This record gives sequence, structure tokens and C-alpha cells, in this order.
Amino acid sequence: MSELDTSVQLCIFDTSRGQSDGQELDKILFFYPSESPFSAQLSLIGLGEGIITFTKMFSPNAPCDIIDTEKRSHVFFQPEPDIWMILVIEKRKESGELGRTRALQAILMEAHGLFTLFYGSIRALLLNSPSGDVARSCLQAFLPDYISDVMTVKRLSMLSSHSGLQERGTIQMMALDRSTALEVQSVVDLLQSWFGSGRIHHTLLLFQDLLVSTTLPPEDAAHLYTYARMRLIPAAISTSSGGHSLKKVLSRANSSSVHLKASASDITAAGQRPSPADSSNHHSQFFTPRPLQHDKWWRDNDGFLVTDAWGVDAQGMSAITPTVWLQQSSQERMKLVAYQHKQLTVVMLISVMHLAPNADGSHVLRNQVLEKASNKLNALEDRLSKEWGGINANHVPGYRYLYVDYDSRVSKASPAGKIATLTKDSLLSLDKVRSEIDIAKGRCDGSGEAQPYELETCVRTRSNAWVVVRIRGNHELYLVLERASETLLLTAEATEKFSRRHCDGIFASD
Amino acid sequence: MSTSESNEAQTTISNPEDMSLSYEPLFDATEEDNGPCYLPSYSSEKVEVDSLSSTSEGVSSDGSDALSEEGVLEDRQFSEKEDSEISGDKGNSELQESFDELISGDLHSEEGETAQQRVEGVDRSILIETSSISDKYPETSEIQVESAAENGNAEVHNSYQGHESGRGGVNAIEGLATAIGGNGVLKPDIGQNEDRLKDNCVQGKQHQYEDDNSTAWRKHKKHFFIFSHAGKPIYSRYGDEHKLAGFTATLQAIMSFVNNSGDSIKYIRSGHHQVVFMVKGPIYLVSISSTDEPLRALRRQLDLLHGQLLLILTKSLEKCFLKNAKFDLGSLLGGTQNVFSSLIHSFSWNFASFLCSYTCLRLPHTARQAVGAALQDIADKDILFALVLSDSKVTNIVGADKASLHPTDIFLLSNFVSSSESLRTTESFLPVCLPKYNAMAFLYAYIYYLDKDTCLILITKNADAFFHLKDCKSKVESFLTESHVLHDISNSVARGGLRIDDLPGGDVLYGSLPVSRVMGDAKESHSISSIKQRTGVGGAAGLWHFIYRSAYLNQYIASEFLSPLETPQAQKRLFRAYQSLYVSIHGAPTGPHQMKYRRDENFVLLAWSTADFEFLAAFDPLAEKSSAITVCNRICQWVRDLENELFFLGANPFNW
Repeated sequence: MSELDTSVQLCIFDTSRGQSDGQELDKILFFYPSESPFSAQLSLIGLGEGIITFTKMFSPNAPCDIIDTEKRSHVFFQPEPDIWMILVIEKRKESGELGRTRALQAILMEAHGLFTLFYGSIRALLLNSPSGDVARSCLQAFLPDYISDVMTVKRLSMLSSHSGLQERGTIQMMALDRSTALEVQSVVDLLQSWFGSGRIHHTLLLFQDLLVSTTLPPEDAAHLYTYARMRLIPAAISTSSGGHSLKKVLSRANSSSVHLKASASDITAAGQRPSPADSSNHHSQFFTPRPLQHDKWWRDNDGFLVTDAWGVDAQGMSAITPTVWLQQSSQERMKLVAYQHKQLTVVMLISVMHLAPNADGSHVLRNQVLEKASNKLNALEDRLSKEWGGINANHVPGYRYLYVDYDSRVSKASPAGKIATLTKDSLLSLDKVRSEIDIAKGRCDGSGEAQPYELETCVRTRSNAWVVVRIRGNHELYLVLERASETLLLTAEATEKFSRRHCDGIFASD
Repeated sequence: MSTSESNEAQTTISNPEDMSLSYEPLFDATEEDNGPCYLPSYSSEKVEVDSLSSTSEGVSSDGSDALSEEGVLEDRQFSEKEDSEISGDKGNSELQESFDELISGDLHSEEGETAQQRVEGVDRSILIETSSISDKYPETSEIQVESAAENGNAEVHNSYQGHESGRGGVNAIEGLATAIGGNGVLKPDIGQNEDRLKDNCVQGKQHQYEDDNSTAWRKHKKHFFIFSHAGKPIYSRYGDEHKLAGFTATLQAIMSFVNNSGDSIKYIRSGHHQVVFMVKGPIYLVSISSTDEPLRALRRQLDLLHGQLLLILTKSLEKCFLKNAKFDLGSLLGGTQNVFSSLIHSFSWNFASFLCSYTCLRLPHTARQAVGAALQDIADKDILFALVLSDSKVTNIVGADKASLHPTDIFLLSNFVSSSESLRTTESFLPVCLPKYNAMAFLYAYIYYLDKDTCLILITKNADAFFHLKDCKSKVESFLTESHVLHDISNSVARGGLRIDDLPGGDVLYGSLPVSRVMGDAKESHSISSIKQRTGVGGAAGLWHFIYRSAYLNQYIASEFLSPLETPQAQKRLFRAYQSLYVSIHGAPTGPHQMKYRRDENFVLLAWSTADFEFLAAFDPLAEKSSAITVCNRICQWVRDLENELFFLGANPFNW
């Protein structure tokens, strides 16, 4: 018996499945680590389901958020009706209480958001393939990559307490001056003005990891932005192989999986496909894209980004263009094409419906972009890199801050390097204050949104730092000031000053 | 003596004016703690004591409860083999026998004895029930003998009383019976300036007929459950314990499911609801609430609930469970519903419930000293603690050498005494356990109300000390009456606690005020001009309310709820906000926060925590930060100047 690491477990199950005795395993759609014995899997799901039923007695509209036990925290998230995700994290002795539930739920939310971006909703997959195999293989192809990504950033159990000044699922914007903003707009207009087989429906422009502009609605933008940051930006694409190796990789992929025939479109419309008898050997039957697989995006010689994570076409000559599902705007499937020049990444979405069957519109588009827009894009990159204030552009001396606007899902924060200078005490205090506010906000959500929530809190920690929170409606500001001599009045004044200068005075107290 | 007399004179002068200010509409019975309003349900037990025939009714209802529980047991398959072997008929006939016995006994007994019998009867019905459950467990009956003996002790003293003082003794027995047996009498209107929030408690069991299937039951904002590790209900705040057996079994199943994986469940949060689990040996406690109270506060409340259980039964109850997992504790607690419901109610009005401190009656220093002297005078080897409580506030405490009374014990004892209405009418001698002092053993409490608010409690280890304590009481009573200290105390109670508008306002130099004048006549000592200078409603700078807690004395002082905190809703909101604030500054992983300022749509709250004291204050939501801070500083200084009167300084500091 090898020791199975159960410090982090993630489980997704569908309470509407496996109703009869002996069918319980059918509920399980995903379990991490997958080597866990079925008894352990069923035990977790049994507990989850039991508690959900129990809490529904008292709180029918908001069943279970968290179960906290001596050794573990079970964080619940219900992304779709009857579909539940449970994240189990083992507590470490030294840290005792786990941080914010919301921060952990945000991980689950992000995972689900990205999943639906690439595969559509879990429910739709289950409807298309009632046996659940497709949904299982998609989850299996996606989540382990996601988990390893989240885990490598930091140990998961520490994540929440160190992310007090970060907000998962929000977008960090690049500050533009007026004329640059106009130029960006004109480039975007140019890209979207082309008709024909390769019409661009939406664009998302990033400079490094900051969003420059997007035409997507906030939720979709946040998902795509998250993905771009994870895999598409210059810092995230594969550097080891470079563009020249694509052919080699393609041929390797070709030879290793000769019978790769299905493309992403088959997966998402997999209802018609005969489902394999055993889900464990589905890889040999049809290809499930792994959008988060590491080192799978390269920059081609012409500046376009390519990947074979979605497989290669029937001829084995070119990679299949990735597709994404937009949830908020149109429920439509779009082809994703990305172009990169130095620090500038342009993500373009083309409606699949507007493409001729079996025709990949992307090379038409490629030519168009290269011919008509590359100069403009290059010029824009120049301009942006001049305007960019460096990694500490958002730094405000004396303050460590996070400002979130939940309406547009935009956040602005002190640079990570500066946040790291805070003492552990301040971070833990901030985390504590934030989790209290999370609960208080939850209360407001429930009791109707008749009046916007408003709150001002200043806390002086044991080590003389000040943690300040200002909330007005959907705007939230978190500040940590580590200047020991400050009094409450001076702190309030400093907050006021910050709010006026950096938050458009949204939190002004008059 | 002259000082106390002059004090008295002063207070009497000041009284009318004070009273006119402080009197508020009294007791509002329709306002209930949580959830929808219902008429208070009167428990049948009060009736029992009154007449002979109803006594037997009462016992028989006890008996049938036991029977019905048997049924429930079988239904739920909780029981093992022994249970299923028992025929209902057998139990029935045994019960019938005991009823016959009781009734026949009643025929030739005095009224007092009836009450005594009733106590015994309850006990016997337990005996019958448990022995019928398991013939295999002879130990069970042994335990019963123990607990019966405990009650027996009380009875013995009652009969002493009976011999001695005739009718009074009868009253005493009645008192004991109702103290143990509880009653449904509503707290009478007490002519004093009290927070109405406190009075909102509807005594006795609420929503008796609900169970977990009814929507009304599910909608209560705060449930408390005590049940055994076998899932057998012991106490539920709402609904009938017996009907909730299935529900507590579910809770128990959840807990044991998690236990099976070598873990233990602490809490569940779902939306607004929190389910908090606590294991205390074989006793499981669970609260289910949607009150948005912080977890730590809820844990503390479960702790207190457990403490209250120990106060009534001692920790040796755990032995009963070791011997028999299916032991029914509920019946031993018969009639203590009031104690628990008043405790739970105090979680929403009594600051002591989260401050881990007690509060003192505001009293001139000399008067407090006089009480201390009176208690000191009677202190001897038989008396472990002697305390005078007025209106749930401490007037003075004297403890045997080195022994100190933990604030939690004071809180639980005070709740126990004040929630037993019958203790008000006569002297009583009861077994109690002070869980923080010694959770394993019973002590004996002699309880006597010196007047309608002020209660003398003498605690002894000696079960035979009744007469001695009775003598002590007489000494204390005559001393306090002759020296008019008792009068001072009742004046203080009538005047109520600190009022925001008593505080030095505006530019008045607090330091220069003669202490006695501040105490005696607040109105006069502050110029009218300073009152006019006040900004906003309430006190200076929009101050509405404050709490000051002295860390080393383990005592706190809270101002009275005044306008605009008139409604119980506003008071409860502030209470909860204070609780969250207090828990929040103490909940930091690296030690308490030093200061917290919080403004929302309801108020501005300020908390200040130092090594010496903690200070919480509530202001108008529009209050200026700077003036609020000035006012806070001023109050803290003022309170420290008045420590003599506001706090009881003679107490030993507690180590905990």
C-alpha cells in the first residue's frame, strides 16, 4: 500500500444520479486523487449528501457551504443544480483554523467557470451522454491540470491566508491614458470590422498579464482572462520547444495516437458517439482536449499561438483550433485564435456558426491579421510598453491595498512583491477581518438587496498595523497600513486620501 | 454607620427625580426572544403542586412520557436486544403500581408532603423506566439510588423546615419542588428600571408541540439540543424532546459518521445557518442558528449550556452513561426547562454570557463594604462562598480562604437562582454543583431573598448545615436591615445601572467631581449647560451605550439601554454587534486586536483592548470619529476614577 496523499481532495458528484441501492458510484463524476479507494470516495459523497439534505431542512435555499472538522475542512460549492463540488483540505497543525471559506469557494468557482468555458456545462454533457462517461472524461482531462496549477502556486491550505489582498476571478486592468485608449479602440474596431468566413466576434487584449481591453461581458471576460493569464501570455507559453518544434510535436502526437479522429466538436456534441464501455480507456476511443496541460502553447513564427492540446486534424497536418463556450453572452461556441507580439496578446473569438462546415476559418483570419493589422498591433505594443509603469506600477507607497469592483469584476491591488513584505500577523488579521465580512455580506445577499451594503472597519492589530475595510455597494477596498505610529484618526484620513486618489472617491464618507 | 446613613439620605432625595427619568414601560410579555410570537405555554407542573388530584396526574403524565419514549426507542431501533424483550405491559403494570403507591401515600399526606412525594414520584418513574429497560444492568438502579439520595437530601432538610416553621416549611418544600420541578409562572413585573430585552424571556417550554416535521419549528432562529452519545434527547429548546428523538439520532449519526474516520465534526455553515457541534464526554451539544453570531460565541454558549447541566447534576452524570449507554438523563432534569430557557435567553441580553465576567450592582462604596462586613462576619468553616446578588448583579462575595468563584459559576448560579421563581418566596437549601470550582461534586446552596430583588446565597460543602446557614442568614439580614444597607441596595436596583446621561458631558472636568455626588445625584452634579451641549441623541458625541470590562477584576459595567435604543430589536441588534465585536478582537490568531472601529448603517462601534481593560462603545452612525474617541477616553478615565462604586474590589483575581 503506497501512502495516498489525501491532504487535498476534490470531488464532483451529481445528486440526481445513482438513486437506487448499489448505484451510488454512478453519482461520482470526478474524484481527486483518482486512486482513492471507492469506499473513501463513497464515504465523502455520503457525508456530503447527508449534510446537504440535513442543512436543507433549515436553509433550503442555501445548503451547505462548509463542514469543518478537527482535521479537515470540506468546502462545498454547487455550480449547477444537483451538481456539487467538495474540496477537502487537511488542516496543518501549525495553522489551525483555515482561512476564508470564500477564497476556497472561489477556487471551485473558477475551476467550474474555466471548465464550462471549454466544455460547456456539466449538465449539458450529462444530457448528451446519459452514461456520464463524456462528462467524466472531460473533468478528468481538465481538473487534475487545474489542481496541479493551483497547488504549485502555493500550498492550497496556505492560499487563502496569503491571498487577502487578491481576489480570484477578477480582472486586473492596465491603466491607459486617453489617447492610448482611443488607439486600442481603433485596433479592436478594425479587427472586428472584417466580415466573411472569419468574422471576429469578440476580442480580448492583454499587455503582459494586465487586461487592456475586451468586448466580452464581465463574466466571460473574467474566465477567458484567467485562462489567458494561465496559459497564453508571454510568461506562460512554452519556451522550451519554440515555434520550430511544432511540426515535430505534431508528428509525434500523430504517431502516438494514430486513431485520433474526433475533434473538440465531437466531444461537445458527443451524444451521437457510441460511448466506450469502460471510461478508463476512453483516451484510445476519442480525444478529450486538455486545455490546461502545461507547455502546450507555442508561439508560431508568424506570431500566432498554436497548441495541440485540442488534438490535430484528420490529416495530422495542423493542430485543431481550440473552441470555447461563452456562457454569459450568447451560449455560443467560438473558435479561439490568439496572436502575440512581444508583450501584447490578442485573443480573438470567431463564431463557429459562421464558418463553413469543416472549414477552419483561422488561416483566412491569420492572413487578414498579418496583412492588415500586424503593423497597428506592433505599434500599439510599443506604445503600451512605454506607458506601462513596470511591475510596481500599481504600487502606492505606504499602502498595501486591494480594490474590487464586483460589478465589472475588476480588481486593482498592490503588486505581489509588495504584498509579500507584510508581516504574517497583518495578513492573518486581514484574513480574519475579510472572513467576518464575507459572512456579513452573505447575510445581506439573503435579505434582499433593498439597500446597498455599507461598511467601514478599521482594526489595529497586536503588532500595531492597521487593517482597513471600506465597502460601498459592490465596491470594496481593503488596506493594510504598517505604520506603527498611526492613530485611528490618521488612519481614517489616510484611507480617505487613498480613496479619493485611487478609487474615484467612491468611498468618500460624506 | 453614619456614612451609610448619609448615603441613604442622599439616595432617597435623589430617587424621585431619578425614577422619573429612569422608569420605562415595563415588561412586555408579547415580545419573545426569537421567532414568531406565541402565548407562553404554562407547564402542567405548577398545577401539580397545588392540589392532590393533579399531583397524581402529573406523575402519570411523567410515567406515560417514559412509556412513550420506550415506544420511540423501539421504533428507532436504537435499543439493542434488551429493549425489544421488554413488553410494554410489564412496564405499564410497574408504573401503575407506583402510581397506586403514590396516590395512596397522598391520601394521608399534608400538602407539603405531596410536593415531596412528587419529587420522589418523578424519581421513581425514572427508576421504573430504567430498570425495565435493562434487568441486565443492576448498576443502573444503583445510580438511581444515588440520584434519589441527592434529592433525598433536599427532602430531609425540607422536613426539618417543616417541623420548625410549619407553614413556612411547607412553602419551602413547595419552593424546592418548583425549583427542581420548574413552573410556568411568568416573572412578575418588578418595579425597577430594567432592560426590557431581559424581560422578554417567556419562561417554560416554548412551542412544546412542535417537532422537526413542522415548518414553524424549522424556522426558529436558534435551536439548542443536548443529547446523549446514543442519540437520546436530553434537552431541546423548542419542541418536545421525545418527538425529536429521530432528529437527535440524525445529529448523532452525523457526528459518529465523522468520528468513524478518526475525526470529529466542529461546525457546518450553510448560508445563514450554522450548526455547531460540541462533545462533552457522553453528552453531545448542538446548536443550530441563523442569528449570524460568530462561531466562537456559539461555542461559548454551548459551553455554558453544558455548565448549567453540570450545575444541576454534576459531572458524575457521565458515570451513568459509562454504565448504561441508553441512560435517560432527560427524566433526571425533569422540570428544569426554565433554567435552560432562561440561560438561552440570557445569551441575547446578558453581556456576561460573552464577556466571561460578572457585573456588580452600582452601590456606594460604604454600602458595599457593609455587605462585605456582614458576610465576613458569618464566614466560618462551613461556608465556602457567601454572596449577595441583586437583580442578577453581584453586590458582594466572600469566599473561604483561597477559594475563588469563577465568573462562569456566578453566571450559571445566578441564572439558576433567578430562573426558579419559587426560590423568591422562601428559604431553600439545594444541591448545586459549581462546574468551574469542582465539576465532580455537589455543594449545597442556601438561598434566601432578603427582599424582592436581593438574594443571599450561602454555599457549603456540608449537607447538614441548613440550620447553621439559617442562623447566618438571620444575622446578615438583621445587620443589613438595621444598617439600612438593604434599603440602599434596593434603591440602587430601582435606580438601575449607569446611564449615559449621568456621564460628565462637554467641558465638565470629570476628575473634579466629588465621587459621592456623582453617585448620589447625577442630575444635579452636572450643569444644565453641559446637557444642552450634547450633540445627537443619547450622550455626548452621539454616544448610545458602552461597556467597560476590567481585565484584572474580571468584572464589567454596562450602561443602561436608553433612547434611541428603546426597542428590544435595537437592543438585541446592539447586543449581537457587541458580541461579534468582542469575539472579533479576541479571535485573531496572534492575540487580540488592540482597537477596532466599525461603522455600518446601524451604529458606529468602537472597541479598545488593553492589558488592563476592554472598552466597547456604540455611537450614532453619523458620529464623528474624533469626538467619539474623545468621549471614549473620557469615559474610561471616569470609570477608573469610580472603580470603588462600580466594581467590587475585594474579590480575588481569578486564574483561568
